[in-house]
Amino acid sequence: MEYLYDHYSSALYGVIFRILKKEEIAEEVLQDVFMKIWDRFESYDSTKGKLFTWMVNIARNQAIDKTRSKEISKDSKTSTIEKSVSRVDSEDYVEQKIEGIGVKDILKNLTDDQKFVVEHLYFQGYSQSELAEEFDIPLGTVKTRLRLAMQHLRSTLGVN
Amino acid sequence: MNIEEYISSGILEAYVLGELSEQERIDVEKNLAQYPQLREELQAIEETQEQLLMSAAIKPRIQVKDSLFQRIDQQKPEAKVVPLIPESDITSDNNIWKYAAAASVVIALVSSYLAYDYHSKWKHTENSLTELIAQNQRVAKDYNVVNERLDKIESDLKVIDNPAFQRVIMKGTDNAPQSMAYVYWNASSQEVYLSIQSMKELSKENQYQLWAIIDGKPVDAGVFDGNVAGLLKMKAIGTGAAAFAVTVEPRGGKPTPSLETMQVVGNVVKG
Repeated sequence: MEYLYDHYSSALYGVIFRILKKEEIAEEVLQDVFMKIWDRFESYDSTKGKLFTWMVNIARNQAIDKTRSKEISKDSKTSTIEKSVSRVDSEDYVEQKIEGIGVKDILKNLTDDQKFVVEHLYFQGYSQSELAEEFDIPLGTVKTRLRLAMQHLRSTLGVN
Repeated sequence: MNIEEYISSGILEAYVLGELSEQERIDVEKNLAQYPQLREELQAIEETQEQLLMSAAIKPRIQVKDSLFQRIDQQKPEAKVVPLIPESDITSDNNIWKYAAAASVVIALVSSYLAYDYHSKWKHTENSLTELIAQNQRVAKDYNVVNERLDKIESDLKVIDNPAFQRVIMKGTDNAPQSMAYVYWNASSQEVYLSIQSMKELSKENQYQLWAIIDGKPVDAGVFDGNVAGLLKMKAIGTGAAAFAVTVEPRGGKPTPSLETMQVVGNVVKG
């Protein structure tokens, strides 16, 4: 468990913090997430995906649940695109960089459309259908844009 | 199914994000199981996502870890020894391994118990076998003794039962009125056997000596100890014995009898 925490807490906290934007709440949620991972560890099925994917989905869901609770008002989520992008771009918080490359550099090569989808889905806590609905983009388009973005990122990150 | 088209729809990305409905998710998992190309693609997507999120990682404050592990420690007593029986709603390969692990633990326990059990049984059996072998040797020895005795009795019986042998009863003299012995004498083969009925034990220095009286003269027929069972083969004597007598003599006997020590005496009954 400690191993999991040491390896993944920063990545999960990055996801949680970007959705909740408040340190204290994000920290509380991070703990809840690890409690859940601890409790449900037997239900993780390696044939259905990587451990990290499983944990990130727990973290994202937990954080989104939190935004719906009374502690967080909806408007923080519906902040403007520019604000949210600048949040990811900002140097306000210490990011753990992989080989010196920050997330900002990684997203640099995406088209604006692709960047928008990745930002909202991965760092704003939007679901695909919420994104489609709120910004009036067909759900299929959201999916294919994410697909294209992920393919770009794959080459940027040197996967395969 | 057109795999390229399926992949480019972005359904796998949605699957990774956990965005699919229950039915869609089941379909994707079915397809993943069927098409290796889809599994490869899924892995690449997951890897990309992991690296993306790792690059966006933010280190939480150190206190968070401490209080988390405090929470886990508090929870520990009721929880989380790996359960051998999974929740009933979970069915996956994972659980097969858990069952397999549980089964192998059970098998290991059972077989080590059996190994122990068989070892002690084997040990016990070995002890029993040793006992039986010893007993068998004892019985064999006894059998030999009995067999020898039987042989002796049979050969004695041949003498006693043989009409060629004449029995001479020697009765106790005034020296030993309780004593009695028989002589079996074959006049033609000149063989002589002695059978003690009742004679005192002698000291180690002395032995009994049997005499045949032939033509009025005592003839040495050999020495014997007082405690012998069955027939004793004595020295052959000449023909024409009229009587037999036993005297007490120094061990090894003497050429002539000490008549004053005569114990038993009997005349040969002329047939």
